[in-house]
Amino acid sequence: MKLVLSDRALDLTPSDRFRFVDLSKLKINNCIGCFGCWTKTPGKCVIRDDATNVYPLIAASDEVIYVSRVKYGGYDVIMKTMLERAIPIQQAFIRLVHGETHHVQRAVAPKRALIVGYGDISKEERELFLRLIARNAHNMNFASHRVLFASEEEAEALVKKEVSAWTNS
Amino acid sequence: MDKLLILNASPRAPKSNSKRYAQLFANACPAESVCRNVNKNNHAELIGAMEECSDLLFVFPLYADGIPVTLLRLLKDMEETPPQKKPVVSVLINCGFLEPAQNDVAIDMVRLFCAQNGYDFGSVLKIGSGEAILDTPFAAFARAKIKKLALCIAKGKKRTLKVSMPLPKKLFLRASRSYWENYGRKNGVTKEEMSTMRIEGE
Ligand SMILES: Cc1cc2nc3c(=O)[nH]c(=O)nc-3n(C[C@H](O)[C@H](O)[C@H](O)COP(=O)(O)O)c2cc1C
Repeated sequence: MKLVLSDRALDLTPSDRFRFVDLSKLKINNCIGCFGCWTKTPGKCVIRDDATNVYPLIAASDEVIYVSRVKYGGYDVIMKTMLERAIPIQQAFIRLVHGETHHVQRAVAPKRALIVGYGDISKEERELFLRLIARNAHNMNFASHRVLFASEEEAEALVKKEVSAWTNS
Repeated sequence: MDKLLILNASPRAPKSNSKRYAQLFANACPAESVCRNVNKNNHAELIGAMEECSDLLFVFPLYADGIPVTLLRLLKDMEETPPQKKPVVSVLINCGFLEPAQNDVAIDMVRLFCAQNGYDFGSVLKIGSGEAILDTPFAAFARAKIKKLALCIAKGKKRTLKVSMPLPKKLFLRASRSYWENYGRKNGVTKEEMSTMRIEGE
């Protein structure tokens, strides 16, 4: 499956080739760090809001495009809230990945990930965002990843171009 | 330093490891300090409290390789309505994994916020294996580093300190396995159940 996960509306025509989730339209509370998804109801978050429909899509997708405003060199609130709520797709147990400790994944497809960071982003913020995504790659099962930056106005056209490359392939 | 404000920005602040780290810090701090939890609705009050302090210490966990949303929201409000007088900002961060360096990106996010918003950045303590270290014989190492952080901040020094369990990785994997198995057992959940590959039962 292919997935576009965005923190804003995008003019994308849905097709059976990919799923599009506009997180700004969903009700997603923040993770409260209870570890219920690891130790009480493994694989399920105890907060039964819209996030419970999104993390299974993240897990199942082998191609993803994450679209987020960049703040302080990281994801802004909407995307970050969802990514924190995605920990039910991992187990509590820890293994070594590239010699570092990381969690064991449940049924999570390895991903080709494109991260589109948009906004008015300084050079320092870009560098930090690149470091963040490189770290995410270990924790979020990215087999490969790319990062593209765009202004707020350019972001939509950029995503559309990438999505049409999928649908034409 | 005259007075220090400790802000616990863990999403589970009342029952968090950050609470224990903050308490150890307050006990070791030679100057007057107050500790407050961050929540969605008290940002204005906390920003007001910053004005009475020379120093601010953020205590928080690493969440998905970055700062938790609880802290991100507060920083955005501090940008929107800054305190009249800006304290020096220091960081005490802990993460679940063994390597303290996994915290570096989150620390640099706070550093970047400070640079963009005119705050002086002070000292840092990055804790690895922070979910469990306080309940192991290695707690003494963590306490010693927290004390060192408190002294650095009190003297206005800018230092980056780190601490973790001094275990080979293989041993840490084993120790963490039994830590989490115990956690599940207390909830009546077996290790096989915890190891399920199913997500939302699918
Ligand atoms: C949603 C979530 C995301 C987390 N992400 C990470 C991570 O990326 N790296 C890590 O080492 N630990 C991670 N942890 C573990 C916490 O940092 C660790 O359990 C910490 O001790 C929690 O501190 P607290 O009790 O003060 O909130 C995460 C925990 C949660 C609940």
